[in-house]
Amino acid sequence: MKLRKKIAVVGVATALVAGVVLVAPAQAASKDLVVGITLDIDKLDPQGATSFSTVRALGLVYGSLVEVGPKLQIRPGLATSWGFNAAGTELRLHLRKGVKFQDGSAFDATDVKASLDRILDPANKAAARANIATIKSISASGLNVTLTLTQPNVPILAALDGVNMAMLSSTDIAAGNVGKAGSVNGTGPFKFVSWDAGQSVKLTKNSTYWGGAPKLDTVTFRVIPTEASILSALNAGTVQFAVITSPLVAKQVSSNLTMYKTPGLAYMALQINARQAPFNNLNVRLAVQCAISRAEVVKTAASGDGSVIGPITSPAYKSDPKARPCPEVDLVKAKAYLTAAGYPNGLTFKTMVAPTQQATIAGIGQSLKSQLAKAGITMELDVVDDSTFVSRWLAADFGTAIANNGGKIDPDTMYTRYFTSTGNLNKVAGYSSATLDSLFTQGKASGSVTQRTAIYKAISAELENNAAWVWLFAPLEYRVTAKNVTGFVPLATGSLLELRKVDMN
Amino acid sequence: MAKKKEVSQRGAVHYYLQSTSGVVGAVLLLFMIIVSICAAMGWLPHNPLDQNIESLLHAPSSKFWFGTDDFGRDVFSRTLDGMRRSLTVSITAVSLAAIVGITLGILGGYLGKWFDMVITRVSDVFFAFPAILLALAIVASLGNAWYETSLAIAIVYTPIFIRVARGPVLSVKEMDYIKVSRILGYSSPRILIKHILPNVFAPIVVQIALSLSWAILTESGLSFLGLGTQPPNASLGLMVSDAQPLAAFAWWTLVFPSLFITIVVVGLNLVGDGLRDALDPARRSS
Amino acid sequence: MQGISKLRRLVFSSTFIRIASAITTLFGISVFVFLVLRVIPGNTITGAFGIETGALNPQQIAELRHYYGIDQPMVMQYISWMRSFLSGNFGYSFATGRSVFTLTKVALPVTVELAFIGTILGVIMGIAIGMFSARKPGSLRDFGGQLFGLLALAIPGFVLSTAIVTIMANKFHYFPNSLEYMPPWKDPWMNFQQMMFPGLVLGIAVAAPVMRTTRSALLETVDKDFVRTAFGKGVPSRKVQFKHVLRNSLIPIVTMTGIQFGYLLGGAVIVEKIFALPGMGRQVLEAITRREYATVQSSVMVFAIMFVTINILTDLVYRRVDPRIK
Repeated sequence: MKLRKKIAVVGVATALVAGVVLVAPAQAASKDLVVGITLDIDKLDPQGATSFSTVRALGLVYGSLVEVGPKLQIRPGLATSWGFNAAGTELRLHLRKGVKFQDGSAFDATDVKASLDRILDPANKAAARANIATIKSISASGLNVTLTLTQPNVPILAALDGVNMAMLSSTDIAAGNVGKAGSVNGTGPFKFVSWDAGQSVKLTKNSTYWGGAPKLDTVTFRVIPTEASILSALNAGTVQFAVITSPLVAKQVSSNLTMYKTPGLAYMALQINARQAPFNNLNVRLAVQCAISRAEVVKTAASGDGSVIGPITSPAYKSDPKARPCPEVDLVKAKAYLTAAGYPNGLTFKTMVAPTQQATIAGIGQSLKSQLAKAGITMELDVVDDSTFVSRWLAADFGTAIANNGGKIDPDTMYTRYFTSTGNLNKVAGYSSATLDSLFTQGKASGSVTQRTAIYKAISAELENNAAWVWLFAPLEYRVTAKNVTGFVPLATGSLLELRKVDMN
Repeated sequence: MAKKKEVSQRGAVHYYLQSTSGVVGAVLLLFMIIVSICAAMGWLPHNPLDQNIESLLHAPSSKFWFGTDDFGRDVFSRTLDGMRRSLTVSITAVSLAAIVGITLGILGGYLGKWFDMVITRVSDVFFAFPAILLALAIVASLGNAWYETSLAIAIVYTPIFIRVARGPVLSVKEMDYIKVSRILGYSSPRILIKHILPNVFAPIVVQIALSLSWAILTESGLSFLGLGTQPPNASLGLMVSDAQPLAAFAWWTLVFPSLFITIVVVGLNLVGDGLRDALDPARRSS
Repeated sequence: MQGISKLRRLVFSSTFIRIASAITTLFGISVFVFLVLRVIPGNTITGAFGIETGALNPQQIAELRHYYGIDQPMVMQYISWMRSFLSGNFGYSFATGRSVFTLTKVALPVTVELAFIGTILGVIMGIAIGMFSARKPGSLRDFGGQLFGLLALAIPGFVLSTAIVTIMANKFHYFPNSLEYMPPWKDPWMNFQQMMFPGLVLGIAVAAPVMRTTRSALLETVDKDFVRTAFGKGVPSRKVQFKHVLRNSLIPIVTMTGIQFGYLLGGAVIVEKIFALPGMGRQVLEAITRREYATVQSSVMVFAIMFVTINILTDLVYRRVDPRIK
């Protein structure tokens, strides 16, 4: 019995040691970076990509005309220079010379025209069609492209960034090959190798990349469904890079890893459907707004990792979070608004939340509920799964909802679709006014930064004074790398494009 | 060693108290009931939903006996309230599942023929259906108040009761004394209640005890996937699930609710054992 | 001769009935899963595009509905799915651009292997500890055995899994599951490492009820007359244990094992998630989130077919171990 026990113990120990030795990272010369992602990619068509994983993975394979840099400046991508005509109705772009697609064919203006036409054609299900819908016609010759717009639209330049604006080869488009595993063909720093559904996406370096060959030999996106497990994999040394969204998981990142904490453009808001009772009453909306301490939400739901914001998160036109009715929680005012609204004894409403969407959402719900209770407002959490949230959100089938919305570097692309009466998400936003409509039109037409600053300040004020939504805070984004990964620059857009400069030693 | 078929009420209690498991289980159960009553009456040091922004993630102290969580809520009060909620969910779910499942299982096993076939088929349909999908469907179409979570768990558990009840009935049915009773022309209800029910009682009691604790864990699994009890309300399962990422720097958020889950699960199972010992005539004589 | 042919006919007809009823069950499940998916809000378009669906115009939506095949009447959708399911390609998964059969071919072996390992570990541990406990009821060893059973019941699988993953990764830098998944025929040793811990977590969950069932069934049978007789006749106690007691306690144990195996097939979702195993549980969960109807439906059907098969097998085992059931 004793001997048997001994054998068993030795056996288990050997197995463990052998296991540790076996999986210990080999001292290979090849520089292979493994990126942990919680959800598999869901398509290979960059222009239709919407999920974070797909956007990040395909963002390394494809290129766009312009890029958004670390300071959110617009910098050259596949286009090296550009200019608007005086009226802001025509954008001329000059393309980079000598760029080649990964299949070896040359990139030129015909590819740009074909790519943009593909996005504009509703049949192609492109995600960003609405952002460039003002393009009336495209003319291409050699390395010059001219976009003629239906109306003045200076912000369209920023909308040309990103994987949804990927430049595809006109041959692939003509052959109908886009999105097929055999013909993933971009101009980006890495080439697509394979996609093992549910498991991994493998990329290898593109030695002929216009920005210089990347130092990494391969990049593998591996699906590990929970962020806690991804952190474990980072600790075990099997994954070298990950984007973490949960502040609690980020808190556990130890000093043997490098963490980049950066504010993103995304923001958390209590979306209000101001067309539904009781929220069609401005006083009710203001009461809710005044009963909430945003600082407390950040402290509890986001472990302090976030900054209180106003409607516009675009750095150049950022709203001042102090410029709003009740910048600090004010229960006396909240009660006064409630009384004015005809609810002196408080009221009850439902808020739709999808906690699986983002780690902090459930926390925001709990924090808001507890805070509103102090003002006599009962907030019931209506918890749904992701897909249900989206479909009810789109149908505006909610009174209020806690949303994690993406931001844009230009406030025009960010909010036109929500807060202009003809915007395709106006039904969801639940609020519009003639003032807002005219302000947004002015913002589009103006090329002057000072002028635009004033316009978007006015838009912010209009949104806040009417408590169209209750804007809460911008969460921090965490990117974690192994210590031997050097040279990474986080981008606020969430893109991992800067992996092209990353080295491992 | 003659089997004592008729046992007085006092006899059952007597035998129950003779079993160590039963006594320990009863003590734990009593503890849980007291805790739940305290929670239900609001006799708690703090409101389990109150958030104290000044005291986030405090270690256990004289003010917060079990410390506070990441919202500054008192873990002690939440644990007690969580016990109440977990018990409510699990008792509701298992009662529903047991009543429906046992009735259908015994009837199916005893009556046989098409009735048995329909029951077996329908229970197979539900049994073979992934529990998570079922829970998701119920939560999505009804909502997720506590009774809907209970309903989801009940539907998942009903087929288990059908099977557990049906199996022994099939084998008891073929026993000589049942055959004799049938030949003697006793009515079906009489045979069912007098002879079959007592014989399937023991496995069912064990099953109920097991299921009560499973239900608590199933609820915690659903919470882990975001489908169970919804915050800010507390159930033990949800607290454990929420405390996972906190455990590394605030052990008390995980340890205390886990301890209480253990108490519930152990307690319920020991009570089950005690009941089985007390109710099963064969076991008593030993 | 006539007797034998009669018997054969009987067997044939009872097999026939069994298969017919299994098919009825499967049909019921197929209708049920089909309807459930259409009752819950959202569809493949919102699943694929998220809030960006709002950026699509009505023409695009119409095109997409046609593309995903959800513009058809429900009955037609059901029939076309059934046709592809029966033809063996199981329908098309839009998110991966592959047939559901291709996906299932990879995912199913993972889950089946996991469930097997879990069940086998669980049954071995459960029966062993159950017998160990039941031999001397009320003794210290019984107490120890029971304590194991109770603690194993009390620890949620996700707590155990996370604890194992975190401790192994942080202290020993060991997390084989974060490497590429290896099927056993490609790299058995890596596969063993990747399956060992999740299998153990499931095994412990299975062991608890099996142990308790074993213990109570054994205690019950020990009191039966034939066991007393065997003891009275001086048959060695170990032999009585195995030959008479265990054999006669098998019905509840087999029932419990059948239940547990079925439960593992559908219930490995959480373990697959934490250990990053590309199995069926994850496939279904992700497909639900994306509202990939064909993937969910066909995966559920695959579960169901296995489940029904296991049921029939359990039934057969019943008949083997307990001659009283005809």
